[in-house]
Amino acid sequence: MKQKIYIIFIIIFLIFFLKACIKRDVPEEEKIKQNVVRSETNFTFPSEQKNVTLNGVDYLQSQASIGKFGGELIESTIGEGPKTFNPFTSKDATSSSMSGLMFDSLFTTSPKDGQIVPKLAKSYKTKDGKTYIVNLRHGIKWSDGKPITADDVVFTWNEIILAGLGNTSTRDAVMIDGKLPKVEKIDDYTVKFSIIKPFSPFLRLMASQIAPKHIFEPITKQGAKAFDMFYSTNTPPEKFVTSGAFRLKEYKAAQRVVFERNPNYYIINTENKQLPYLNKLVYLIVGDLNNEILKFEGHEIDVISLRGSNVAPYKLKEANSDYKIYNLGPDTGTMFLAINLNTRKNSDGEYYVNPEKQFWFRDKNFRTAIDYALDRKNMVQNIANGLAKPLFTAESLNSIFLNKNIKGHERNLLKSKELLQKSGFRLNSNKNLYDKFGERVEFDLYTNAGNTEREAIGVMVKQDLEDLGMRVNYKPIEFNTLVNKMTTTFDWDMIIMGLTGSPLEPHDGKNVWHSDGSLHLFNQRTEISKIDNRLPFEKKLDEIFDSAALKTNFSERKKLYDEYQKIIYDEKPIIYLYSPIRIVALRKKFKNIYPSQLSGITYNIEEIYEDNN
Amino acid sequence: MQILFYISKRVLQTIPLLILVSMISFFIIRLSPVDPLAELKLNPSISKETLKLEQQRMGLDKPLPIQYLLWAKSFIKGDLGVTTTGEKVSVKLAERIPNTLLLTIVVIFLTWSVGVPLGVLAAVKWKTPFDRFLTVITSIGMAIPSFFFAILMLIFAVKSGWFPVGGLTSYNYDEMNFIQKFFDIAHHLFLPVTVLFTLSLAGLQRQMRANLLDVLDSDYVKFARAKGLSENKVIFKHALRNAVNPMITLLGFEFSSLLSGAALTEFVFQYPGLGRLILEAVLKSDINLVMASLMIGAIMLVLGNLIADILLILTDPRIRAKA
Amino acid sequence: MIKDILNGIFKDKFAVIALLVLCFIYFCLFFAEFIAPYSMNYTDRELSYVPPSPIFLIDENGKFSRPYTYNYKRTYDADLMQTVFKLDRSKKYYIKFLSRGEEYLYLGFIPMDRHLITVENSGRLYLLGGDINGRDVFSRLLFGGRISMTIGFLALFVLFPIGLLYGGISGYFGGVTDMIMMRFAEAVMSIPSFYLLIILAAILPSNMTSTQRLTLIVVILALIGWAGFARVVRGMVLSIKNQDFVKSAKMAGASDLRIIIKEVLPQTASYVIVAMTLSVPGYILSESGLSFLGLGIQQPDASWGNMLKEAQEYINILYRPWLLTPGFLIFIAVLSFNLIGDTIRDILDPKSRIR
Repeated sequence: MKQKIYIIFIIIFLIFFLKACIKRDVPEEEKIKQNVVRSETNFTFPSEQKNVTLNGVDYLQSQASIGKFGGELIESTIGEGPKTFNPFTSKDATSSSMSGLMFDSLFTTSPKDGQIVPKLAKSYKTKDGKTYIVNLRHGIKWSDGKPITADDVVFTWNEIILAGLGNTSTRDAVMIDGKLPKVEKIDDYTVKFSIIKPFSPFLRLMASQIAPKHIFEPITKQGAKAFDMFYSTNTPPEKFVTSGAFRLKEYKAAQRVVFERNPNYYIINTENKQLPYLNKLVYLIVGDLNNEILKFEGHEIDVISLRGSNVAPYKLKEANSDYKIYNLGPDTGTMFLAINLNTRKNSDGEYYVNPEKQFWFRDKNFRTAIDYALDRKNMVQNIANGLAKPLFTAESLNSIFLNKNIKGHERNLLKSKELLQKSGFRLNSNKNLYDKFGERVEFDLYTNAGNTEREAIGVMVKQDLEDLGMRVNYKPIEFNTLVNKMTTTFDWDMIIMGLTGSPLEPHDGKNVWHSDGSLHLFNQRTEISKIDNRLPFEKKLDEIFDSAALKTNFSERKKLYDEYQKIIYDEKPIIYLYSPIRIVALRKKFKNIYPSQLSGITYNIEEIYEDNN
Repeated sequence: MQILFYISKRVLQTIPLLILVSMISFFIIRLSPVDPLAELKLNPSISKETLKLEQQRMGLDKPLPIQYLLWAKSFIKGDLGVTTTGEKVSVKLAERIPNTLLLTIVVIFLTWSVGVPLGVLAAVKWKTPFDRFLTVITSIGMAIPSFFFAILMLIFAVKSGWFPVGGLTSYNYDEMNFIQKFFDIAHHLFLPVTVLFTLSLAGLQRQMRANLLDVLDSDYVKFARAKGLSENKVIFKHALRNAVNPMITLLGFEFSSLLSGAALTEFVFQYPGLGRLILEAVLKSDINLVMASLMIGAIMLVLGNLIADILLILTDPRIRAKA
Repeated sequence: MIKDILNGIFKDKFAVIALLVLCFIYFCLFFAEFIAPYSMNYTDRELSYVPPSPIFLIDENGKFSRPYTYNYKRTYDADLMQTVFKLDRSKKYYIKFLSRGEEYLYLGFIPMDRHLITVENSGRLYLLGGDINGRDVFSRLLFGGRISMTIGFLALFVLFPIGLLYGGISGYFGGVTDMIMMRFAEAVMSIPSFYLLIILAAILPSNMTSTQRLTLIVVILALIGWAGFARVVRGMVLSIKNQDFVKSAKMAGASDLRIIIKEVLPQTASYVIVAMTLSVPGYILSESGLSFLGLGIQQPDASWGNMLKEAQEYINILYRPWLLTPGFLIFIAVLSFNLIGDTIRDILDPKSRIR
C-alpha cells in the first residue's frame, strides 16, 4: 500500500517535470515600447549668481527660481565615511566634500563652462597674471558671528597652506621654480596674491577654502601634530566655526553625517531671503555600491549615481516612478592598461622588469599591436552595458582640453599581427608568440580584486592578447598590494587601473606625465634617480607640461595639451580603454536641479529645494 | 575564600595563554610580505612625524622578536597605536563595541530561549520522527552561506518595504523620544538578528539535545526511573539540572563570540559593529587595528571560560569541593 | 562499522535522499568535461549576461519535434539604456547528444571531443545563461564545483593527520609535553577563527598560479580547524592509554610512536568519522565566504563561491536569477552533508558533543 502511494507520487512528479520541459515554440509578441523618458544631454542653466549689496552687506544673489524653505535631502557616501572635517588635512574625496560644505572657498567654477566665479570672495583682478587683487565681501560672518576678513585669508595662506601644515598638495602645486607665492593684506577686505611669473593653474588653486583665524591660530601655534588632530570626526558639532551653507549637526561613525542649514549664509534668492532652502542635508555612510542601490530602492536616499547594467531597470521604471534620471555624459574617470617601461634595477641589483620583457615593452610596435588587439566595443557593451565611450586620449572626454582630432580606431588583429611581425615576433605551429630571440611572450597582468568591472575587463584583455599568441597571466590582486607594486616595488608588467582627472585643468595630471611625477606609472623613478635616462617622448612631455603651465592664453595652452595627448596616443605607454557615462537618479520632488557635465548634480545645494506637490 | 584563591589562580594561568595568542597573531600578520606601514606611507595626509613615531613604536627596522616585544610593551601600557588613516585605534574600537554587544546579546538571548527548549524536546523525543524533523529543519538554517542569506534578506526588506535597508538607526534618530528610539533600533535589528539566529540555532539545539541524552543515559537517571518516578519528573527534576553544567561552559564560549561574532553579516547589513571594522581592517592590512581586535577576541574567550568556571563552582557542589 | 553506517543511512529517508543527491553531484563533477557543452573559459563576447537558451520540443506548427534551440541576438536600446536579447528565429539548432564539439583533455590528459549535449558549431547552448564575460554558467558550475566540493576533503586530509598525531602524542605522553602542546593548541583556538582565516588568506602572495593558490587555501582551512580537533583526540587518548591492550603493547616493547599510531588512534575512529562528515560542509561554506571577500579562488578560475560573488549585485539577483544557481548548489550540497553527518553521528556516537 505504502509503496503504491510512493510510486503514484513519483509518477505525478515526473509528469509535471516533463510538462515543464516541453516548451512550445511560440514567437513572442513585440513588446509595445513603454513611454520612455528621453534623458536630455543639453543642459540649461539659470543666469549666473550676482553680487548684490544690501544694508552694507555684500550678498551673492542666486538667480534660480524661488523655492520653499524646509525639507531635507539624503545623500550617501560609499566607503568608511569622512576621516576628518578639517579641510586642510583632508586627503580623501569624502572628507574633502564634507568639509567643502562647511567651509566655502574664495571662488568656485561655473557649472556651465568651468570659468572661475566668485563665492566667498566678491571679485578678483589681475593685470599681468602675476599679481591678483582679491576683494572680499563686507559684512559676512563666521557661524560664531565674527566677521570674515582679509586677516582670515592671509592667515589661512601664510600660517596653514604655505607653512606646510596638514595636506601639503596645494602648497606643492603653487610652488613655482621653488618659490612660494606671497599673500598680503591690503586692507580689511582686500588681499594681494603675488607669484613670480604667470602660472595658469594658480587661479584655481588660489580659490582655496578659508579658515577662521581666531579659532585656528592657537592650534597652528602648537605645531603640525595638533593641527592634524584638529576638527577631527570626534570634535563635538557645536565646536565648529564655519562659513559654508551647512554646518555639522551629528556624526555617527560608520552610519551617517547630518548637516543643518546655516541661517547666516551669504547667498540670497531673488526675494533677498537667505539660502539654503533645505533644513537638513544627510549623508548616509554605505559600505558598497550594492547597499547604496538597495537604499535608493528602499527610499532611504534621494540621489544615486548609477553605472552600467544598474541603469537599465531604473530607466525602465522611470516613467512611473518618483525619480528622474539624468545623463551627465562621460565621466572624468578613465580606465586604462598601463605597460611598465622601467629598465632600472632595484637596490639589490636586480631588474624590476626582466630584460627580455623590457625588450618587448620598450618596442613601440609591440605596444601598438596590443592597442589594436583590444576589443573596446565589447568592453563598452558587456561591462558598461553600453553606457560608456571608447577612450583613446589621456584627457577625459568631457575635458575642455580634449584633443578632438584623435579619432581612435577599431579592433584590428591583422594590423596587430603585422606590427608584431615587423618587430621580429613570430608564431609557432601552436599559435604561440615568440620574440626574435626565441623567447615565449608571456607576462603578468594585474588589476585590483574586488572591483567586478575591472576584473571583467581583465578577463577580456587577457583573451584579446591571447588571440595574438601571447600568454597572459592574469591576476586580480588586493588593492594595497597593487598600489605598493606601482609606487614602490615596480615589479609588474601590465596593470589595468583607473584614475580620475580634472576636466578643467590638465596640469593636475602632471604627477602622471612628468618624468619625476609620483604617479609616473609606466616609467616610475625613485627619489634617487629622479630624471635619469628619459625616453625621447618623456622629454617632450616634460617640456610640454613645464611650458603649458606658464601660458595664460587658453588657445596656446590647448595647442600644447593637444600635442601631449597625441604623443601618448602614438607612443602608448598607457593604453586607454573606455570612459564610463555618468547617470544620476534623483527624486523628482527636488527642484532647482541644473545638472552639469562638469560639476555633477547637487553642486548648487543652497538653491535646491524640496517641493512635495 | 577558596573560590577567590581559585579565581586568582585561574587568572594567573591565563596570562601565558594570552602571551602565546599575541605571539602567534603577531607572527602570522608579520609573515605578510606587505609593509605594515605601506598604507600609511601612501597616505600623504600622514605626516612624516607620525610615520616616524609609528616606526619607532613598532621598531620595524629591528628583528621580529624585538618588534614583538616593543608591540607588547605598548599594548600593556594601553597604547594601541593609530590606524592607517591616522585615527586612534582605541577610539575606533570604542565607537563600535557597544553596537556589536547589542546585536550579539540579542541574538544569544533569542537562540538560547529557543534553542535550549528545542534541544530538550528533541532529546525527550529521541529517535522519533519529531526529533529527526527538528534536526532537518535546523540543518536548513545552517546550510545557507551567511552572506547570501543576508543579501536575500536585504532584498526582501527593499521589496516589501517593511524593514530598513541595513544600518542601526534612522537618520533622524536624534530627534526621537525614548520609545521611538527603542522601536527604531528594534526595527533595524530585526533582519540581522533573524539571519544570525537562524545560523546559530542548529548548533545550540544539537548541543542541548546531546547533553540531555548523555544525562538520560546515566546511572542515577536510570535509578530514578527504577524508583518509579514519572518520566516528566525524571526529566525536569533530575536530568535537566545535570544537563545544565555543560551548557554553562558553552555560555562562556558564547561570551567570547560577543565581540567577534558576525563579521560577514555585519558587513552585508552595513551594521556599524566591530566585526565589520575588523573585516575592513584585515582587508586593508591595518596591522594595529587587526592586532588590537584579535587580542580583544582572545581576552573575551579567556574571560568567558573563566566566568563559566566560576559559575560552575557556584552551581555545582561537587566541583566546589575539588577546587 | 562501515556496514553499520550504511545500514543506518539506508534506514533514514532523509539520509538516503541526501546521499543520492551527493552521489549525483559528484558523478556530474567527475564527468564535467564530458557533460559540459563548453570548456571553463569558453567565451562568446556577444553573449554577456545572456538568458538561458530555451529548448523547444513542440515547433511553431504545434508538432512534436526533436529538441532544438535558437541563438540569441543582442541589440542595444539607447533610449532605455538597455541591452536586449531576442531569439533569432531564422535558424533552428537541434540538440545533438554524444556528438563532437569543442576538443578537451578529459581529466587533464585524455584527449576527447564528444560532449553529452551540444549543438552545431554556430549555435550556442547556454543552459543556465551567460555571465558577464559571456561564459556558459552551466559549464562553469561543473568545473567550479570540482574545486568547491573537493576543497573540504582536501583540507581534511591535511588537518586530520596533524590533529590526530598532535592530539595522540600530547595525550599519550602527558605531563610537561601535554601541558606545552595543549597550551599552544588553546592559544590557536583563542584567536577568533574567521579573522584568522581571512588574515591568512589576505597574506597569500599575489603572484601564485591557481593551483598553488588552491593548495594554500586548503592548508589555511586546515590550519584553522586542527587545534580543536587535536584537543578532543587528546581527551580520548588519555582514557584509552590506560587500557590493557595499550599496556600489553608497551610490555611487548613497541615504540611509542608505533603504539600511538597502531593501537591508540584506531580507537578514536568513530569520532573521527563523525567529525569528518560534519566538518566538510563547514569548509564548503568557508570557501564561499572567502570568495565573497575576494580572498578565495580568483578569476578566471571558477568556484561556486566566486561565481556567487558575481550574483551578489542586487540587479543580478532580481533580473538574472540564473546567476544564483551556485548559491542554490552550495545550499543543497551543505544540507546533504549535514543530514548524512547527523545520521552517522547518531549511529556511531549518539551522545557526541560535535556540533
